Amino acid sequence: MISQLKRYDLSLATAGFLVLLWAFFIAFMLYPLSFVLANAFFTDKGFSLVFFKLMLWSPDYTLILANSINLGLLVTLFTTLLSVPLAFLVVRYEFPGKGLLNGLILIPLVLPPFVGAIGMRQLLARFGSVNLLLIYMGVIDQPIDWFGGGFGAVVLLEVLHLYPIMYLNLAAALANVDPNLEEAARNMGASGLKLFRTVTFPLMLPGYFAGAIIVFIWAFTELGTPLILGYRKLIAVQIFNMVTDLHQNPMGYALVVAVIALTLVFFYVSKRLIGGAGYGMMGRGHVGSAIRPASASLTVLTYAVVLGISCVALIPHFGVLLTSIAGRWFLSVLPGEYTFKFYREVFTHDLTLLSIKNSLFFSTLSTMIDIVLGVTIAYLLTRKRVPGRNLLDALAMLPLALPGLVMAFGYVAAFSATPLDARINPVPLLVVAYAVRRLPYMVRSAYAGFQQTSVALEEAAMNLGASPLKTLYQITFPLVFANLVAGAILCFSFAMLEVSDSLILALKQQNYPITKAIYALMGRVADGPYIASAMGILGLVLLAVSLFMASHFFGRRMGELFRA
Amino acid sequence: MVSVKFDRVVKVLGQSRAVDGLTLEIKAGELFFLLGPSGSGKTTALRLAAGFYAPDEGKIFFNERDQSGVPPHKRNTGMVFQNYALWPHMDVWNNVAYGLKMRGVSKEEKKKRVRQALETVRMEAYMDRLPNQLSGGQQQRVALARALVIEPDVILLDEPLSNLDAKLRLEMRAQIKDIHRQIAHTMIYVTHDQAEALSMADRIAVMRGGRIVQVGTPRELYTRAESAFVAEFIGGTNLLPGTLEEHGDLLSVRTRVGLLRASNGVKGVAKGDAVFCSVRPESVHLSILKEPRLEILNELTGEVQSIMYLGDSEQYSVRLADGTLVHAVEYNPTVSKAQVGDRVSLELDPRDVMVLAREQPGD
Repeated sequence: MISQLKRYDLSLATAGFLVLLWAFFIAFMLYPLSFVLANAFFTDKGFSLVFFKLMLWSPDYTLILANSINLGLLVTLFTTLLSVPLAFLVVRYEFPGKGLLNGLILIPLVLPPFVGAIGMRQLLARFGSVNLLLIYMGVIDQPIDWFGGGFGAVVLLEVLHLYPIMYLNLAAALANVDPNLEEAARNMGASGLKLFRTVTFPLMLPGYFAGAIIVFIWAFTELGTPLILGYRKLIAVQIFNMVTDLHQNPMGYALVVAVIALTLVFFYVSKRLIGGAGYGMMGRGHVGSAIRPASASLTVLTYAVVLGISCVALIPHFGVLLTSIAGRWFLSVLPGEYTFKFYREVFTHDLTLLSIKNSLFFSTLSTMIDIVLGVTIAYLLTRKRVPGRNLLDALAMLPLALPGLVMAFGYVAAFSATPLDARINPVPLLVVAYAVRRLPYMVRSAYAGFQQTSVALEEAAMNLGASPLKTLYQITFPLVFANLVAGAILCFSFAMLEVSDSLILALKQQNYPITKAIYALMGRVADGPYIASAMGILGLVLLAVSLFMASHFFGRRMGELFRA
Repeated sequence: MVSVKFDRVVKVLGQSRAVDGLTLEIKAGELFFLLGPSGSGKTTALRLAAGFYAPDEGKIFFNERDQSGVPPHKRNTGMVFQNYALWPHMDVWNNVAYGLKMRGVSKEEKKKRVRQALETVRMEAYMDRLPNQLSGGQQQRVALARALVIEPDVILLDEPLSNLDAKLRLEMRAQIKDIHRQIAHTMIYVTHDQAEALSMADRIAVMRGGRIVQVGTPRELYTRAESAFVAEFIGGTNLLPGTLEEHGDLLSVRTRVGLLRASNGVKGVAKGDAVFCSVRPESVHLSILKEPRLEILNELTGEVQSIMYLGDSEQYSVRLADGTLVHAVEYNPTVSKAQVGDRVSLELDPRDVMVLAREQPGD
């Protein structure tokens, strides 16, 4: 036993931190998950599959399940089709303004789709701007149903929101392909599409799946967008509806378990498809650069493609912007008059002002938790040999794969009738949920920082007489400071606009964060949507500014944050 | 099987002229080496031949065919990369068969030729393995088979043995030379390892700063190095600076440690020139200095500074009166000829002394 322990660096402090970390993970990840599982499989009469039977035999639920899976697959497919050419053009060619275009591609990431949905409703509704315009122009005489019952609109919004994540992963994967391997193929007589199909793309697959699985899970469990669009036939929306009557209807548990199971299946499939082989680079020889200068026509094409996609991606949010400054907008292509009064109302209206205060408070707290946990975990992972290292790593990354919806549902269920009951006071659980959801970003940022910082720098300080703690504060932290700031910005800004946790957990109006307030406002008839739009725009600006700052710190490594 | 001709080829990479006016003819069927220190442009020259780079000036010919504008996949060269560049997602069989697939070779034919190529490199037992399940030497042989199987016009090898351990390197040298004898293809082989070049090459081009310094057979390069750079780079040498005083049957060079006679000098050195006397360490005959001593032609005296025992040889570093260090090597050293601190005599046979032009700085 002693000899076994000797393999690890277990000082009193390390052991203490480990115990605290494990306590946190057990309380706020493992316990809620197992609670949901237990409730899905056990009724008063013991083990039972009755809810799953109900789910699979009821045409309503099978349709809903199929819809959600379709949503995930379609969004993954379309984002792939959009991103492959984008990644290829940007990674492989050098042209003027490349940095700018790269930034443009990332913009949709900062446009939360459920805010976009507000604008989409205004533009594409039955009597929305587009239909009205077409009727005035005499192109059609009956309004067209653009939403395809709502499903099409959800797909469109998700694709426009998520393709940057796919792009970041594909671009990273493409840049990682050893140029020698492509040269070897050209030397053997391959070129063009054949070269891409037989060598380049297969080598990109691990990176591709790492991004694809994130996109899939994101779309598969998206809650805010369908809610705003009023499309209810998705598993996420069903789960949301069942939170209120958890005790009467255990179906919610079964649905959550179904989501977990499907997530795991897709995760497993994506890992299997890669064949478990992250192709490690072999010793690098002469690296000929694979980046070529683009011809004038190719440059124009690239600009056209990127600008075109970005413009389309911006349309819903342009709609939001218009709505937010529309004094009156009813049955007309453009608003009848313009006003800034809704922005004023955002800062005076009780619900909105309170929600902004709430969001700031929750996000600050959760970011602080993330910093403490993330830095500790990353430090233990990079600098210490600790027992259960791989498990700790996996748990810290789990929230990336675990839908926020599942976590939030688990929290409400597992902590009901405890001091943390969300019905009595949702604040602690909201803060914890935000923290857990965004913990992977912080761990990844800090981890990258620690890894880039040579241990030798720390050893040099200790060699010259600095104590371990002094070394940490005087050498390590200053060196990884940029990474910590970037990670913290990401955590904070995503927490500010977190959707599923907020919608599910914030059960009392006095605790509504921004997102839930927007959702609540959308339900109010009179000026609700206008104020909601104004808030959405403010949120957008906030997220854009913080992501811009974060990407400034991360530079080209941004893509590493959004992969499994 | 083709001859390869570089005609005044220039390639600029970044700020530097990586290949700077390269003119070279490689005969069909030759095992030709490009030898030089890192940064000498040898790999760039090879990549120019493969078509990965296009020359900024000059042309490259395969036989008499101008290769300008011919893309890499149409050149029919077989390249062995320094890091092997085996595709990690394909097994050995598919790696080797790839070039044949691109050429639309029939199924039967493909099977036969892949098997044959793998047999040539003795890897037929590993057809189903993925590259990461192979050792470095095995990967190396698969890479070689992949280049051989398409029966290329030229085989290009870019430091193919540099990632192998010393013992394996010796084995592979013999094997590659063997394969060359069997198939008699034109091969261009890039290395910085002079022993590899000497032991394998039909001919060697020594490169420096993007240019060719000297071309010749291994024996020519070793025995008749035309510059201090080549003499030092191939085999190592002692260079004693001096001035050429006489240019007759024997050449006389006034050095700081006395007059040296040599029977060989490079072309173009004239009386009064600043020159080097180049003597290979193994041509320096070392013995304990005896008193009283007679004047001997080409004798230097000094004190043993250090001795390195290498098993098959023993290396003496001797400090001369003016501070110059001279190296002497004794092969099969059963007994030590001297100890550190001993005063010793170094005799140089005029036939072993080569007079070389002293290069001007910046040359």
